[in-house]
Order: sequence, then structure tokens, then C-alpha cells
Amino acid sequence: MAKPRIAFFDFAGCEGDQLQIANLEERLLDILGHVEVVSFREVATGHSDDYDVAFVEGSITRPEDEIRLKEIRKNAKVLVALGACAAIGGINCLKNFLAENVYREEVYGSSARWFSTYAARPLKSVVKVDAEVPGCPIDPTEFARITKELLLGRAPWISDFPVCVECKQAGNVCRYEMGKMCLGIITRAGCKAACVSQGAHCWGCRGLVPGANLDAARIVMDRPGTSRKAIQDLLRFFLGDTGAAL
Amino acid sequence: MTTYTVYKEQLPRLFEKWSEAHALYVPARLREGFYDLVPWKPGLEIAWDFDVAYNSPKRFLLPPRETLITFNRKTCEAAPVFEAPAQILFGVHPYDVKAINQLDQLLETGAPDQNYVRRRAATVIMAFEPLTVSPSAFWATVGAATAAHGYDLYWTKIGPASFTVEVGSQRGEELLAMGGPLLPATAGDKEGARRAKARIVFKARRSGLRYNWEETPRLLAKCWDSPLWRRYSQMCLACGSCNLVCPTCYCFDIREEADDQLEEGIRYREWDGCMLESFAKVAGNHNFRPKAQDRYRHRYFRKGKYIYDKIGELGCVGCGRCVRACTAGIANPLKVFNELWEETTHEH
Repeated sequence: MAKPRIAFFDFAGCEGDQLQIANLEERLLDILGHVEVVSFREVATGHSDDYDVAFVEGSITRPEDEIRLKEIRKNAKVLVALGACAAIGGINCLKNFLAENVYREEVYGSSARWFSTYAARPLKSVVKVDAEVPGCPIDPTEFARITKELLLGRAPWISDFPVCVECKQAGNVCRYEMGKMCLGIITRAGCKAACVSQGAHCWGCRGLVPGANLDAARIVMDRPGTSRKAIQDLLRFFLGDTGAAL
Repeated sequence: MTTYTVYKEQLPRLFEKWSEAHALYVPARLREGFYDLVPWKPGLEIAWDFDVAYNSPKRFLLPPRETLITFNRKTCEAAPVFEAPAQILFGVHPYDVKAINQLDQLLETGAPDQNYVRRRAATVIMAFEPLTVSPSAFWATVGAATAAHGYDLYWTKIGPASFTVEVGSQRGEELLAMGGPLLPATAGDKEGARRAKARIVFKARRSGLRYNWEETPRLLAKCWDSPLWRRYSQMCLACGSCNLVCPTCYCFDIREEADDQLEEGIRYREWDGCMLESFAKVAGNHNFRPKAQDRYRHRYFRKGKYIYDKIGELGCVGCGRCVRACTAGIANPLKVFNELWEETTHEH
């Protein structure tokens, strides 16, 4: 059987997810040994439109992005959203809470009319997405596992439970018991509770866990000493395109 | 059983000796109000007055993630993986000893869980009589104030610098003897230990079930359709925290991962919990407990009835960890059982 041909693409984003893949270093060669990379601008030169799997990073922020993304969708047998921007819209969606003239002025200044832009959105708002590698940035080991599962013909699995599970596995003291706010209660796990384990709190970069109880989460977050503004800001940070943001 | 008196000044030497051939865990303060069993190192301050270890001791016997087999896709061969490090858990409160005894019963009967059994055999349990009671604990009223067995040594602090140590196994006695000649406890010291126990149980009884815990299974049998399940579960985040911090919950999920050459791989297990939405998802994506209400009720039936029907004890030892871990404030066996009790007694 011929090796599957894979290609990487990016839209609005920092290309940090592709960098995470490059960060696999010695593992990268083993994993890429099973495939033929036809396009990976951050790592190698060359490009071809003949590919089986497209890994797409970044969110859709301009009408013309849609044309390019639909073209990629047409060429690819499998389309994988890579990272928070592609999978859930991510921090690009922060601008969706501002008036268009405000963010256009803020970003482009007096040249604003030269650039087209519209509300930021995840890939799935435009095309069918077959699999997601969540996170900001993605976890390289999770990317490796998902890639291997695709290679073995298995449905790629990502955690379907909240970050709380991984905090309990790690033995972390719960942020809420420390009087802090945390989005782990509604955020899809798979990061090994990275931010909490490092002393911070969860920002929700991996998107909502399926079935997230947002009503309950809002009540839990709304505690004495926490401002509503702080809750709103945190819920908008990564989750602007989801039902969580207020 | 033999009881000895041990003085605090003997401990550093004992710990030193024990840690030569064992991973030794002792209670320490993590931050104000938070304690846990942590690896011992010389000079570490022991938190004798810890109210509860933040993480339950099950992680030492059933780790959050554990490899079960390795396999080769080409040769279709598989081999079991057993890891059982020699370890000493020093400072396990009696309710946690009871929880371990329960895991022993449940995991060793039927098809014994070989990974658990081996870890358990390599683990020395040194029980410790609590000196304080966690605000969310209610162990004294669910039959978990005393552990009749399941420990190698049982330590009771009877003075500022003295302990009685009751021997529970030959292995325990040998470990104690590594510190030099043993001093049999006097009648007065034994009385001191008895009083220490009575004192802490008295304290712990301040909060508890309003009825005899043995009534719980019969109580639950009447409460399948109680409105309480829906009322509380509306706030359920399905985060599984109550399951994962529980010293008697032992459910796990099994997954596999191939190596980067796609030739060999491992099968491993990870903690799972019946409050997680995907817990009851089976083939074809069918979920036989899709609603939070069903899952919430299941957990209380499990703790209060199903386990009792198997082994004659509650599946809850009253440690209060789930009460503390639940951000939504709904995981609370004490409150739930008491409210159901009130509900049913008023009906009749």
C-alpha cells in the first residue's frame, strides 16, 4: 500500500501548532516515515495539491479563506483541524465581541479599508472536519498518537471528559479550593492538566467537553470575590465561538 | 496482638532504615489546610495532626495510569507488565485502611486483578490514629472509625513524643525491630491509646448520619424515584471528581497505543468514573446512563446499596473527600443519605 500523502496548511494563527510538531524532533522522523509529506511550509520546501490527509491550522477570518479551505477539503480524504484556532476558533474570536470598525481600526489603523476581514470562526463553520487535535498549542504527543491512530485505520480518540479528571490523576489541589477561578470544569482534557500542574489555572484552550454543563459552571464560577467581568473575560478567551462565552 | 511503645526520637533512624528498601510516604503539609502523603526525605516535617490526606491512598495501589500488557503487532505476541514497587504508607487513617480492605475484597475475588494484587502485596500499611477531623468527614457514623485488620502496624500518638504501635503483621514487627530493641507498651500506654481513640471518635461523631448506617441499603431501596436525584444532579458538571478522589472507587478504562514504528504497543488502564458522561458509552455509541440524574443516583446506590449487597459494608468510608472536591457542592453522601432518611420517615 502506498504511503498516505499528507499536507499542512495554515490560516489565521501563529503556526505554533506546526512548531509543536517540529518539536517532536527525533520522534518526528519515525512518524513521518509512515507517510509522504507533500507540503509542510514550516519544516520543508515544496508543495503539491495531491494529498490524502490535510492538517489545517488557524481560524477563518476572511471571506477569501473560505474558498481556499473548501479547495483543501475537496482535495483531502481526511481533514484534521490542528490546534485551538482551527478547532474552536480560539483567541481570534476575541474580536467577535468588538464592533467591526473598532477592531479594524485597532489592527490596521488608517489602512483598514485595504484589508478584508470578518468574524473569526473555526474550520467546522465552513467545511466538514474529520478529526481535531485540540489545544493552544497542541500537545505533540497527542498529535503523534492521533496520527498513528489514523495510520492504523482507527477512529482517532480525544478525551471526552473534563480537565478535572487529569487534575485528580495528577493529585493537584483544586483551584476552586484555593479560591481561584478555573475552566477545567468544562474544558476537554488531554493536556494532562498542564496549566494547573504548573501552578496556573485552566484557560479552556482545548474547547468545551461534550455535554458541558454551562449553567452549573457559571454558578460555580460566580463566587464571592470573583468579578463577573473576570468570568466573562475568561469564558471569552478561548471559548468565544462556543456557547460558553457570555 | 503485641503493642510496643515508640518514641519520636527513634523515628528518623527508622525512616532512614525503611527508605533503604522501600519508597516511604509520610503525611506532610502541602499548604495551609492541605495535607498529603508525600515521599519522605530526611528533615521533612511530619504533619501528625493532618485531618485527611488530600489524595486517597488508592493511587499507590491502583495508579492513575498503569501499563497492563505490551504487544507486538507483527508477531501477535503479548506479555503482561507487572510493576509492584516495595512501598510503605506511613500515616493511613483507619477509614482509609477500611477503604483499602474493601478494595482488597473487591479486586481479589472472582478474577483477581493481578496488577492490584501484586502492588498490594508489596505495600506496607502503617495506620495512624487521627488527631483531627476534617470538616467534611463523617467516618465515625458509617462504621469506619475502626479498622480491625489490614495494617502492618497501627500507630497512636499518646503524648507529645510517644506512640503506641500495635503489630498487625510479622512484616510490620520486623520493620519496627529495625530501629533496635523493642519496648513493650505498658498498661498505661495502652490505656492512653484507647483514650486517644475514644477522644477522636467522639470528635468525629459531631457530624454524621442521623440513623444507623446499616439502614442505608433499605433506605435507598425506597428512594429510586426520589426528586432529590434530579434536584442535585442539575448542578452536576460530570467532572468525575467525586469518583476519582474516592478511596473505594476503582473503575478504570482501557486503551492502547502503538509505538512510533507501529510495530509494538502497550495496553494501559486509566482511572475512569461513573459520573463521567462517556463512562456508560458502549458499542455503537449507545449510552446506557446518558443523563446526569441517572449517573448521580447510580453513584449513591453504588456506595449505599450495591457494595453493601456484595460485602456487607457501605461503599463510603466517610472520608469527606468528594464533599470537598465537588465544585458544584452536590457530592455529599452524608447530606444525601440524611435527606433521603428525612424524606422517607416523613412519608410514613
